[in-house]
Amino acid sequence: FHFDSSRTVCTVMADWGKCLDFGVSIARQVVLDAFEAQKVVSLKTSPADLVTETDQGVENLLISAIKEKYPTHKFIGEESVAAGASPVLTDSPTWIIDPIDGTTNFVHRFPFVAISIAFAVNKQTEFGIVYSCMEDKLYRAQRGKGAFCNDIPLRTSGLEDITKALVVTEIGTERDDLSLSTLTSNIYRLLKIPIHGIRAVGTAAVDMCLVASAGADAYYHVGMHCWDIAASALIVSEAGGVVHDISGGKFDLMSRRVIAASSRTVARGIAQVVEAFPCERDDGLPDADQAIGALTQRDGHWVSNDFLKLPCDKPCGIVIESV
Amino acid sequence: MGSVEECMDAAVRVARAAGQVVLEAVKQEKHVSTKSTPTDLVTEADRLVEELIISTLRESFPSHRFIGEESCAAGEPCVLTDSPTWIIDPIDGTCNFVHSFPMVAVSIGFAVKKELEFGVIYHCFEETLYTARKGHGAFCNGLRLQVSKEKDVSKALILTEIGAKRDPETLALFLGNMEKLLRAPAHGVRIIGSSTLALCQVAAGAADAYYQFGLHCWDMAAAAIIIREAGGVVMDTSGGPLDLMSRRIVAAASQEVAGFIVQQLKPIGYERDDCGERHAVR
Repeated sequence: FHFDSSRTVCTVMADWGKCLDFGVSIARQVVLDAFEAQKVVSLKTSPADLVTETDQGVENLLISAIKEKYPTHKFIGEESVAAGASPVLTDSPTWIIDPIDGTTNFVHRFPFVAISIAFAVNKQTEFGIVYSCMEDKLYRAQRGKGAFCNDIPLRTSGLEDITKALVVTEIGTERDDLSLSTLTSNIYRLLKIPIHGIRAVGTAAVDMCLVASAGADAYYHVGMHCWDIAASALIVSEAGGVVHDISGGKFDLMSRRVIAASSRTVARGIAQVVEAFPCERDDGLPDADQAIGALTQRDGHWVSNDFLKLPCDKPCGIVIESV
Repeated sequence: MGSVEECMDAAVRVARAAGQVVLEAVKQEKHVSTKSTPTDLVTEADRLVEELIISTLRESFPSHRFIGEESCAAGEPCVLTDSPTWIIDPIDGTCNFVHSFPMVAVSIGFAVKKELEFGVIYHCFEETLYTARKGHGAFCNGLRLQVSKEKDVSKALILTEIGAKRDPETLALFLGNMEKLLRAPAHGVRIIGSSTLALCQVAAGAADAYYQFGLHCWDMAAAAIIIREAGGVVMDTSGGPLDLMSRRIVAAASQEVAGFIVQQLKPIGYERDDCGERHAVR
């Protein structure tokens, strides 16, 4: 990996465009080199939650390249967090990085693997980059300046009628009873609306970029992390789409839940039928809104309180351990 | 009649030409209708592309027979005889086509004496061609294809499709099957919306297995021979030999993974493609 140190260092942080260009250049270079390397596979939280040396290597390369240019900036990276770093988002300029989104796909060479880089200042995402390496598609967006794929402007489908929607989601890495039954019952209820179909390609970042490019009309998921969607959430909204919490409320980057859609109507339609299993927030903070996602046992399975429209009298910050 | 090689060359040419038509059509406005269920979509492009493929091939091979998705929908018999027969899906992934979801293929299989001789599948968005001829290996854009050979389902990436039926019983069976495989625990399940391209991912070693209820003979014909020639296995969901007209398939990188999947699956019934009454010509 050769890094071009002749670029002008951006000392006045008003123009994040230069940081964006820098992010784009390293995204392309680092990943293509890394893919040629041998893969040693380990497990994280479950037998389906894979990580490779490439994940760790790529993240280290990205962070060291960025640190050299912007030594005061902060980082939230998937593998650094796994190694114990704090994933709290402050007002400081912060790079939010997933070195390989779709690690399972990467291990199998299934052709949807992306690097995701987002940049936030004052807790607001200023730009996002998703590079889908095997497709050679570079998605990017800068706040207020639109979204693009390989420099072609993106627009979501604008679909309002959910019965004609193609919806993307993820199977996820959880394999415990609650997560699996929530996953399948969500898909069941969506298909019964009916919708045109469900797709699952194996990476949250690419799924959301498919919504941004109008290849699909909505994406929903519970359990992915802030680094998976920080960039693509901006790409969707700059392409004219909406990004909400899975309850239909305000999107919270650290909540590990999202609906991204072509329109508020479609997002609401999805929010009405999907449930969330409880998920510990990425920033580890207890959240008043967590109670909204709290579950009640009903007929032998878990149903969310806001789905039942029950008042929630449980304490905040409910966490159920994944297996 | 033409040798098998001549037929295959013709198939490659017409698949590429049809693929270009599909790629142009995906940018245009689409007129969408439904077939067996409200989610079983068909467009004018499906009919036009199939007509293009059949008329082109018929010119070179006037004595051959044709089984095409849209012809069968229009009442042509869907029966495989000993005659040289072309088995065609003009647009595999019609729902994807309607949405411009980038997984759409043209699929052409060819059988003589009811045995598959070659298969050609053209991935329209990637402009990638998958081919295989019996005894001559499988290729993607000239590169040799090889399945992953994965034997351990707990390291398997499995692909499937939902199928056209959306009644509660079918959905419960579909989700139950998927959940069982996730608990194996497989590495993951993917749904891309095109059975032919999903099967090609297995042939390429990018996925380890595919299973589905509800696909048609025109979805299986080309892909089955591509997978076999890449070293994989294809079979019926009961574990018996593949039955092109049965509306169901298990394909895998190894007997072991296929066998495991066969054990887990609860069947979902779909009417056979060669059911005479449905396609009676009056």
